[in-house]
Amino acid sequence: MKARQALGPAVRYILVILVCLWTLTPVAWMISISFKPPTEWYSPNIIPERPILDNYITLFNSTIPIGGTYFMTSITEVITRPLFNSLIIASLSTVFALFIGFLAAYGVSRYRAGGTFALFFTLLTRMLPGATFVAPLMVYYSTLGFIDTYPGLVMLYTAVTLTYAIWILKGFIDEIPPEWEEAAILEGATPWTVVSRVTLPLVRGGMLASALFIFILNWTEFLFALVISVTQVRTLPVQISLYASAVGRMYGPQAALGLVATIPMVILGYAIQRYLVTGFTFGRVR
Amino acid sequence: MAKLEVRNLRKVFGELEAVKDASFEVSEKETLCLLGPSGCGKTTTLRMIAGLETPTSGEVYIDGVLVNDVPPQKRGIGLVFQDFAVFTHMNVFDNIAFGLQIRNVPKGKIEAKVDEIARLLDLQNVLFKRAKGLSLSEIQRVAIGRSLAVDPKVLLLDEPLSNVDARTRDRMRAELKEIQADIGITTVYVTHDQLEAMTLADRIAVMNEGLIDHLGTPNEIYEQPKTLFVARFIGSPSMNFIECHLTEKDGKPTLEADGFSIDASGLSESVKRQPIGSELTLGVRPEDSWLETEKRSAEAMRAEVQLIELLGSKSIYHLKIGRSPLLVKTYTAAGVEVGGTVWVALDKNKLHIFDKKTGGAMI
Amino acid sequence: MVGLRLVNVSKKGRGKEVLKDVSLEVRDKELFVLAGPPGAGKTTILKIVSGLVSPDEGEVYIGSEMVNAVPAAERDVGMVFETPAIYPNITGFDNIAFPLTLKKLPEAEIKSRVTEIAQMLQISHLLDRKPTTYSGGELQRVALARVLIRNPRVLLLDEPLKNLDAKIRERMRAELKRLQRELGITMIFSTHDQLEAMTVGDRIAVMDDGVINQVDTPEKTYQSPRTVMVARFIGSPTMNLIDCRLKEVDGRWMLDATDFEINVTRREEVTRAYSAGSSLVLGIRPEDIGIADLGKGASRTVGTIHMMQNIGDETVVAVKIGNTIMNTVISKGRVVRYGEKVSVDLRDERVHIFDKKTKTAIL
Repeated sequence: MKARQALGPAVRYILVILVCLWTLTPVAWMISISFKPPTEWYSPNIIPERPILDNYITLFNSTIPIGGTYFMTSITEVITRPLFNSLIIASLSTVFALFIGFLAAYGVSRYRAGGTFALFFTLLTRMLPGATFVAPLMVYYSTLGFIDTYPGLVMLYTAVTLTYAIWILKGFIDEIPPEWEEAAILEGATPWTVVSRVTLPLVRGGMLASALFIFILNWTEFLFALVISVTQVRTLPVQISLYASAVGRMYGPQAALGLVATIPMVILGYAIQRYLVTGFTFGRVR
Repeated sequence: MAKLEVRNLRKVFGELEAVKDASFEVSEKETLCLLGPSGCGKTTTLRMIAGLETPTSGEVYIDGVLVNDVPPQKRGIGLVFQDFAVFTHMNVFDNIAFGLQIRNVPKGKIEAKVDEIARLLDLQNVLFKRAKGLSLSEIQRVAIGRSLAVDPKVLLLDEPLSNVDARTRDRMRAELKEIQADIGITTVYVTHDQLEAMTLADRIAVMNEGLIDHLGTPNEIYEQPKTLFVARFIGSPSMNFIECHLTEKDGKPTLEADGFSIDASGLSESVKRQPIGSELTLGVRPEDSWLETEKRSAEAMRAEVQLIELLGSKSIYHLKIGRSPLLVKTYTAAGVEVGGTVWVALDKNKLHIFDKKTGGAMI
Repeated sequence: MVGLRLVNVSKKGRGKEVLKDVSLEVRDKELFVLAGPPGAGKTTILKIVSGLVSPDEGEVYIGSEMVNAVPAAERDVGMVFETPAIYPNITGFDNIAFPLTLKKLPEAEIKSRVTEIAQMLQISHLLDRKPTTYSGGELQRVALARVLIRNPRVLLLDEPLKNLDAKIRERMRAELKRLQRELGITMIFSTHDQLEAMTVGDRIAVMDDGVINQVDTPEKTYQSPRTVMVARFIGSPTMNLIDCRLKEVDGRWMLDATDFEINVTRREEVTRAYSAGSSLVLGIRPEDIGIADLGKGASRTVGTIHMMQNIGDETVVAVKIGNTIMNTVISKGRVVRYGEKVSVDLRDERVHIFDKKTKTAIL
């Protein structure tokens, strides 16, 4: 009896471990490559025989040869500019998407703004593959002069992630009983006060969850960043892809930059996890 | 139809001991009600009987068989949830037939069974209507029908009438009682409404903080509650409780309260034998006293009228004798007004005494 | 001075008429109850008075001022909802202080007012805690505190006791009534529970389907229900309502209910206005039906005991006379048995008579 009962949890643990291995192995491999010299980039061992830091150093100083070999990046720029660009663009887009998204979600939830169609329409926009409107976008952008500009990418990212913001936030706003806002109205609150002092604090968890989700989408976006940016607003994902030399792709620096690029997201996720309170306990207290 | 037995059930959730020790038996065709306030452990107990919760310790026997390790669907129970859990997109027939369809029972048998149940529950007219548009009472019957279709040995209901408005609740209570009489299945149900318990149960288990305070018939529990908690919980309005101590007046045993005294000679010997000065709690039901506009009985006491709640032909009078509040439920008397005075007498034979420390009834 | 008034208010919602030409007058400092089944339009009326909803037609007056154009935020009306408007993310203190912080009052004043009101409602121990730990009754009291702290000129309560346990509801009913009298505030209380309506209100408006059927004191509503709906709604157990036909035999007028008859010769309001053969509805309250052993002096009407419900201080007995089943009540001491034949005494003079078509009482 006891053995059979122990089997259940054991199987669960095994499954969890398998899933973890599946998702984390590529990450582990990436970390491993980032410390390897070029000679080992293709070798199967996970622990480098001759670990080096050059892959990281070259991100900041492109003139040094890596691992004492003749490999050198063909990029002369250091990563500080792309890092800065990614931070600015991803952050601004996230903030705009949340701001506009919240207002839209509120309208849809409380006032049924847009009727039954508007909400569905925003979802439709996400069903087209991004690649289909690269070409038209390029035409608009070059005509209007948005190529390789901050507004160019920020507007696009905001527009795209707006849908997610609206959908997630609407769900959270729906959870709040309208009576809670009505009570504040009767107490003399203006509509803006109601939103800022009643609704927003209560959907804080939803806002932060959306923020993290949208930030990650913006941070890792590659296709449009590649197409729209040239040099000024090049983002990290594009930068990573450019590590190539006359003799082939530089996996070392790519892995290193890949790891560096994940750090801001990890920090953000860790910082807000405390606020991601799932499962509200308001309403029916029995 | 089977016997249900529950022995020393205990359930702990982390630090919370939801059920401390529950033991009872339900005979064939008997209806037992688990009654108590929110959080007393009644729903957890029901869920353990159903198999939706595993007891921390203790056993559940259905028909003499230990079912602790048997999953809910194999225990032979029917469960009706608080919000009925009726499939709104299906019609009544499919709802009732659901359990049978899952078990791949041949179509002919399903039809016969559903027909039988529909007739029993008076659902023939709506058999092919979508569950969505039905009235609450019909939905309740569909939920019961579905649980009965698989021929359960025991029927379990979780607060079947709590989501319903007062008027409909009265009607559904009467309907449930008729259904109970017709079906005759061993039933356990949970409620916080003492009126529901009184009218529908053969026996009631009054639960308080994870323990059963009193297990008995509605009459027993009403007339001779074992603890103060049970006395307060059963009966609407609640029983009056007056703190007093035992003394002697004119050679007769008397209960001295805050501002008045009551003749204690009608009480049991064990109470009268208590030492003088013992602190006791006196309990008397609102309907076990009467009002007089002038003092006519020797034991009538003067009281102030603080509030009158009109019920219809009867009213609830909120009185104050001395410094003690007292509720009296009786036929609406003319000439009694808020702020005025009345004379109230307590039925000597209907006095309940409780130990002030333990809350247990002293008989 | 008039507390508030609704004049010819109509409101349509979701395709149907929620309020049909409703006119109401609530007196200053009155505890007015809006009673009716769910969907009657009670919540809509409260929302129109508060300003959260605008009427399609009609005017709303608070005091002598017409407030149709006054936004909800400026009407100085307090409302307690079914689900308490208490925010779980801030403490009890902050919740109660909320309206005062909106008005930007000084901290010291806020603190003293919150403490004062918390003491009055006995919730001082909840101030430092967050609402997630409160019980249902505590939540409602904090919601009440939050509304009362502003001293609004009108207080609206929308089924505030609906989600509370039966026992707690009992207690809060009396508390609310006492509070209203102490504070002298004009209050409108809505409920679907007729007992609450009867016990709490100074006057009751019984409504159904957007129409107000009767506005009267609880007593008058109970004794003289103006429509069949009011007769059925007020009083528990429900009044027995039976279709009948007026007939005349040798100068004596009778209501023929197929299985029994009621003598209405002395009811001139009926005999003068209706001719023989008219379809009417008769209503008789359970307490106006007596059952006794068959034997000498027994009435001609005989019935069989059909069902019994023990409700504590009384027992509701369903008696079957021919094909008609009627409810009566007997005191808890009496014993009757299923199937027993009894003599049924229907008190003719206490029968209420209604026109079958218009459903209104014939007075």
